[in-house]
Amino acid sequence: MDMTLNAFTLSLLTGLQLGSIYVLIALGLTLIFGTLGVVNFAHGALYLIAIYLAVSINNALGFGFALILVPPILFIIGVLLERGLIQRFYDRPHTDQILVTFGLAIVIQELLKWVFGANNIPFSIPSWGNGIIMMHDYLPFLEGFVVYPKWRMILVVVAIVTVSAVFALLHLTRFGLVIRAGMRDAEMLQFLGVNINRRFMIVFGLGAMIAGVAGVFGGPVTQVSPEVGMQLLVPSFLIVVIGGMGSLGGAVLASILIGMAQSFTAPYIYINTIIIYLITVIILLVRPRGLLGAKGVFE
Amino acid sequence: MITQNNFWQHNRTVLMFALVALTMPLWFPLIGGYSGLDTKIMIFCIFVVGFDILLGFTGYLSFGHAAFFGISAYVTGIMLKNFSDNIIPAILVAVLAATVVAVIIGLLTLKRTGIYFSILTLAFAEMFDSMAMSMLQKWTGGENGLTGMPTPMLFDLKMQGDTVFYFVTLMAIFLFYMAKRIERSPVGLMMKAIKCNQTRLEFTGINARKYKLLAFVISAIYAAIAGALMVVYEPFVGHEFLGWHQSGEIVIMSVIGGVGTLVGPMLGAGFMLYFENVLSVNLGEQWLLVLGAIFMAVVVFMPGGFMEGIARLKKRYFTTVDGE
Amino acid sequence: MAILDIHQVSLSFGGLKALQNVNLKIEKGTTHALIGPNGAGKSTLLNVLTGMLKPDDGSVMFDGKPLLNVNSYDINQLGIAKVFQTPAIFPEMTVLQNVTIPVFAARDGSFNLNMFEGRSKQRPLIEFAEQQICELGLEKHMYSLAGSLSRGDKRRLEMAICLANKPRLLLLDEPTAGMARHETEKTIELLKSMQDGITKVIVEHDMNVVFSLAEKISVLAQGEIIAEGSPDEIKGHPKVIEAYLGEAQV
Repeated sequence: MDMTLNAFTLSLLTGLQLGSIYVLIALGLTLIFGTLGVVNFAHGALYLIAIYLAVSINNALGFGFALILVPPILFIIGVLLERGLIQRFYDRPHTDQILVTFGLAIVIQELLKWVFGANNIPFSIPSWGNGIIMMHDYLPFLEGFVVYPKWRMILVVVAIVTVSAVFALLHLTRFGLVIRAGMRDAEMLQFLGVNINRRFMIVFGLGAMIAGVAGVFGGPVTQVSPEVGMQLLVPSFLIVVIGGMGSLGGAVLASILIGMAQSFTAPYIYINTIIIYLITVIILLVRPRGLLGAKGVFE
Repeated sequence: MITQNNFWQHNRTVLMFALVALTMPLWFPLIGGYSGLDTKIMIFCIFVVGFDILLGFTGYLSFGHAAFFGISAYVTGIMLKNFSDNIIPAILVAVLAATVVAVIIGLLTLKRTGIYFSILTLAFAEMFDSMAMSMLQKWTGGENGLTGMPTPMLFDLKMQGDTVFYFVTLMAIFLFYMAKRIERSPVGLMMKAIKCNQTRLEFTGINARKYKLLAFVISAIYAAIAGALMVVYEPFVGHEFLGWHQSGEIVIMSVIGGVGTLVGPMLGAGFMLYFENVLSVNLGEQWLLVLGAIFMAVVVFMPGGFMEGIARLKKRYFTTVDGE
Repeated sequence: MAILDIHQVSLSFGGLKALQNVNLKIEKGTTHALIGPNGAGKSTLLNVLTGMLKPDDGSVMFDGKPLLNVNSYDINQLGIAKVFQTPAIFPEMTVLQNVTIPVFAARDGSFNLNMFEGRSKQRPLIEFAEQQICELGLEKHMYSLAGSLSRGDKRRLEMAICLANKPRLLLLDEPTAGMARHETEKTIELLKSMQDGITKVIVEHDMNVVFSLAEKISVLAQGEIIAEGSPDEIKGHPKVIEAYLGEAQV
């Protein structure tokens, strides 16, 4: 692979950008799974709600309002879903959880298709986010004129901020401590008298909220159409599996890995479409628990 | 102790199914069904009965069975175009190809628990979908699909219209009967035990993994047969035969009908296709939305589907002393 | 004659030494109890015997055949059955189906492609299963779903499942755990009444059960066998008392 430093840097950046969208969805998925033990097949649909909401608010009131409103709305939607539906399934077999969230995903997707139509809705980038960054100004080792779309860099920054915020929440707050302990042993926490129900509700809302952030910033990049939800869900699931189900660090690592893999194989179209599957199979055979997964979780 | 009498009794359901199915061209138009749709329903009955052997017996939820359906369909189409218009070699090669893939995927995905399995099978379905659109374009026709097949022939018999319907229906009856035989056999018993308590099963001397793989492969064969017959029915194969959407439809049919009952999923298949093609005239584009809502309602309130509904009705109106 | 020969078995979890050079010989046809304080390694040892865990060192011989690196189902096919702490049965199947499974397992081995075997061929095996169910006093539940049985009946059902494929060694992991007095008595009766020459290894906390049934007792503490002998020898054994000091006894 004969690559110049310029091309390498650009591929690196694209890898980060791809990874950024993945990490925002995978993080919510693995958080929900690690804490509640629920495999949320409707997570892509949550992202779908986010982008449709974001584009509607953006086109009516401007991006600022979308940024302020969408994540909290998604949080509330997440909480409502958990209380109204998901919590009935904690004692039911995993298959049933998958089935009901799958059904939910279809219903949400079809609902949005009905309301907004099947076509792509243009999500225009706000003026301050438009344009390009002169990468050669910041990275002296680059030769000549090298640019990168501003919005995609913003996306990377947003992802870094969000991931940091989630880690801070989990490692620096009392709430986070309870959640992390619950991720290892939910039953034990109940014995200690912790109100696990409320925590579950909040965690699910949190997962949805992160998808909300993803939607606001990712909408212009991934486009706004009904298939996007499921299109992102499959790679996100695989990323969670590769990283290790229930491991947040794993989700981050795997997102970067896959983002890079897809970015660097972009010129080789055929490999590019299946690289994520190949990596999944290899990880499956060589290290079934995932990169940072806990031993024995699913072996 | 087996008398002729017992055969009819034992295979009551199969015989009822045969009766209903073979007379379909007579009664189906009365409820708005059209010729051709009945054939499609029979094809999906085959798909869904096999799927129930995996989901209903062992409890493993696969979102990837469309892969076998699609691979078989593509191979059938390619065989018809390039080898011979006789459907027998086409079907045989297609099913064989899909089976080989199934063994590989089964070995890879069944090692893990149910959750991993569901996610991985979903991934495989999407992978094949991608591949059909990109690297395998030359053979699959890419986004446009595979067309241009000759009229399929069963040796000297042209496979068109009603001929296809009866061919498919006879196969469906036979395959349903086979599924029932499997259910009654020791193999069926072991498969059902996997769903209940796999650990106990292993400690009772049974190699659960092999039975899981067997269920997986059998259900893949059924899916492959359905895929091949699909091409005989309609000379077109699209990449959407392979992806999560098609797989998801099978899951919905199975759950609405009643997982584990073999006959339930067939009812589900009939219902879904009828809903999609006949009732949707009134609902327009939203049929899948309504069906999705029905599906969710079933999962939440009546997980046993139609069959559970029927059992409950039976109980309410025909209470017997000792139950059935 | 030792039917089970456990030799220098060691197993560590991370830094924790769960089993340290465990040597244990179980004589054929005896009822041998394994006792010890919590965390002594009793369950770990059972898990090694059933193929769930692999020891770091040592060997296990069952009737002269090596038992390590053998799959759980093959171990059962060799003749070892396990009764779990919480009765492990097939809840959504009928009692009859539950007991038919081991009968088929005995005839067909761990895997058999007899997908089209009809009812007529299965008749004799099903009848044998019916017999087993009657012998354990569960006839009236023959067609009930196993999950609907009382805990005591589930325990009997589990026994029936274990005994149906004629094991030579029965491992019992705290069979009376969580049972009320009268249920425990019933279980002791059941185990006493088994005249079939099956070797039994019972892991137990309930000393009443141990002293009612055991011909020989081995005491495990912190992964090591600290004492071994007849019930009388163990009763007053200083090391045993020391190991149990501070342990609440049932």
